[in-house]
Amino acid sequence: MSDQKPIQYVDVNASPVKSFFVSMLTRDIELEDAILDLLDNCVDGALRSKQASNGEKPYSGFEAEIDFKKDSFLISDNCGGIPWSLHDYAFKMGRPSSHPADTPWTVGVYGIGMKRAIFKMGKDCLISTRNGDHDYDVHITPDWIDNEDEWQIPVKASVRPKKKDGTEILVGTLYPSIADRFGDEAQSFKSELERRIATHYAFIIDKGFQVKINGDSVKPRTPHLIFNEKAGGKKAPKIQPFIFRTRTDDDVEVFLAVGFTRPIPSPEEIADEQEEKKYSTVDAGWTVVCNDRAVVYCNRDELTGWGEAGIPRYHNQFIAISGVVEFKAKDASKLPTTTTKRGIDASSRLYLQIKNKMRDGLRIFTDYTNKWKGRADESRRHIEAGTPLSFEEIKLRADHLPFSSTRTSVPKGDQYKPELPFPVKLESRKKRISFVKDIAEVRLVAGYLFKDVSADPSLVGEKCFDLIYREAKK
Amino acid sequence: MKHPPYQLRTNKAIDRFMFVEAIRYLVRPTDEGRFTYYALGGPYLEDFRLMHESFPKMHLVSLEQDPETYKQQKFHLPCRGIRLLPLDFRSFLARYDSRDRKSLFWLDYTGLEYSEVEDFKSLLEKVAAGSVVKVTLRAEPSDFLEEKKANEFKAKFAAILPSSNVTVPHDSEDLAGLLQDMMRIAAQQQLSATGVIYQPISSFCYKDGVGIFTLTGIVCPKSEVERVRDLFSIWRFANLDWAKPKRIDVPFLSTKERLHLQRHLPCAHDAGSKLHKVLKYSIDVDREASLAKMAQYADFYSYFPYFMKAIP
Repeated sequence: MSDQKPIQYVDVNASPVKSFFVSMLTRDIELEDAILDLLDNCVDGALRSKQASNGEKPYSGFEAEIDFKKDSFLISDNCGGIPWSLHDYAFKMGRPSSHPADTPWTVGVYGIGMKRAIFKMGKDCLISTRNGDHDYDVHITPDWIDNEDEWQIPVKASVRPKKKDGTEILVGTLYPSIADRFGDEAQSFKSELERRIATHYAFIIDKGFQVKINGDSVKPRTPHLIFNEKAGGKKAPKIQPFIFRTRTDDDVEVFLAVGFTRPIPSPEEIADEQEEKKYSTVDAGWTVVCNDRAVVYCNRDELTGWGEAGIPRYHNQFIAISGVVEFKAKDASKLPTTTTKRGIDASSRLYLQIKNKMRDGLRIFTDYTNKWKGRADESRRHIEAGTPLSFEEIKLRADHLPFSSTRTSVPKGDQYKPELPFPVKLESRKKRISFVKDIAEVRLVAGYLFKDVSADPSLVGEKCFDLIYREAKK
Repeated sequence: MKHPPYQLRTNKAIDRFMFVEAIRYLVRPTDEGRFTYYALGGPYLEDFRLMHESFPKMHLVSLEQDPETYKQQKFHLPCRGIRLLPLDFRSFLARYDSRDRKSLFWLDYTGLEYSEVEDFKSLLEKVAAGSVVKVTLRAEPSDFLEEKKANEFKAKFAAILPSSNVTVPHDSEDLAGLLQDMMRIAAQQQLSATGVIYQPISSFCYKDGVGIFTLTGIVCPKSEVERVRDLFSIWRFANLDWAKPKRIDVPFLSTKERLHLQRHLPCAHDAGSKLHKVLKYSIDVDREASLAKMAQYADFYSYFPYFMKAIP
């Protein structure tokens, strides 16, 4: 062996680096989602203030206003402010295990949302909050951000005392890319932010919360499902949503409903939409709601069961199908959300089990659509005989529906499976034929067959086939 | 719709008996009425006849989407009480609600398509615990002799292939083995996170013209697996560990030959050569093949139907 002395090792420093929080963590989130994190804090504040009731509009009276300009961003709310007792936790990077128990039904888990949103936008921030007797300002300055060794943030009594409990967060010294979004691209940014709030906060706004962006109120976009109570008596087939509800051993309440939002499209409508996009957005698909926040909105892929386990892939013909699944838990860590709270943890055991039921419901309506797609007019009568109901209204109706219990398959729970109208006559297997021909040629044949050059091209094609079929049979 | 003469398929007939036998281990006579048998019974409802004869109190439901076959079924109803539903399997699934009642399903397909695997998967997540699902698929190696067809197979079933570089076997037993591995993966994918598994009970491959693979299993909570395995542990045709599918390949024998051989059955060891000696001649191309056929006969003789000329 050599005569070299053994190497001496020293302990390594694993303390956090401020720049990691300031410039790395902020890359994981889009600007719009970072702002939604701030809105989450407003809603959690409303729940914490205990003024939110349990009625149909529990958030009534609470509001948040967002104002952005080229050089600043401001969000202000009347949602109770940050209690001084929580100051050690509210401004810490991440949530220590000693954190006091959360107010039930809130969504904050990781203690990073507000800080990440601020660092995403700029280097100067004034947080001003009033909660009861406490009215204080926290100022995060560019110097503080740049100083790796300074972790204390000074707190002072508010310079401008507030009239109501609430919080204001003002961010300045914006990063150039953010200033561009708030300045040169203000219109498109506002439109996108509004769309996200209208969808992600649809259920909260529906329950009374108000959000304004640069003075304009955001209107919620919630799916309404057709519910037909009367047609043909209790047992007659009718259009109603499939409903499943359960409470897990972990105390997560789940309620899901899927059904039709509108009549199924005719073959012409499907073909038209395929050739030329008629709607910039569609409300078909699944919306997943966790403690009132829509974490997934109108999803139409495998994440929500489309295109797997016998469910067809989403296609325009299913434009009428929409569903909502709601998870509610007093302890937000039990919810199947991702850390950004804007997505579903697709590997969550709970979510995978509930997805079985989502597919179960979806199957009823894809099957109905397939069965009736050649008879859209007849189907339209079934669907238009019903009333569109909001998710909350469906929950209320559910109490009067005959649910059946599932105890031996997973997930356990109660479900209401509607019996939808089914074509009476069994049809031979059919094949769709479609082809494209020159417009002038189609008009010529239409004139020849129907004495009407503008006859429906599908009728022209069908007539041609029938004529040749008759010939072929001879 | 044109159908092959299912009722004259010897190996298939044995497969049906095997299914009935498996059910006997599971369903006590007092519990028959708690089970419902659902199947794609075809025009002659042969399996329904057998199920009714074996389990008279069991509820029977046939699914058929072809209007002409549906009429044929009505004509051939082997007993009262069979519900004939004019539905395709997908529509049936959309309406099916187990309501915690145990079911027996036979997805008896004559083809091999991914949509059929999807039907199987969808069913697994919908049935009540303790239900049995049997699936039958075409397993004909000659379908994949051309490289293009083999590649098509791999592309179609990529999501459930045991390995991306799998080669499609040219031997029917190996192909059935591959299909079994694929169905195992499909079941695991579907039941992941549910606490429930698809426990195989039996699997067979045979050829009545074309190669066929059939797999029977029970959907049960993980905590019940040992109990289920115990139930079938004494059944000699059980396949509880995803072993290679057992081959059914019974010989064509005259009634006189069968009666003659049966006097020497059952025999515990070396049945093939013993029966071969009894007959004193080969019934197949060579001695080896003949011994194998005799061994098959010894295995399945009690399930082997007699086809005879009869005057109705």
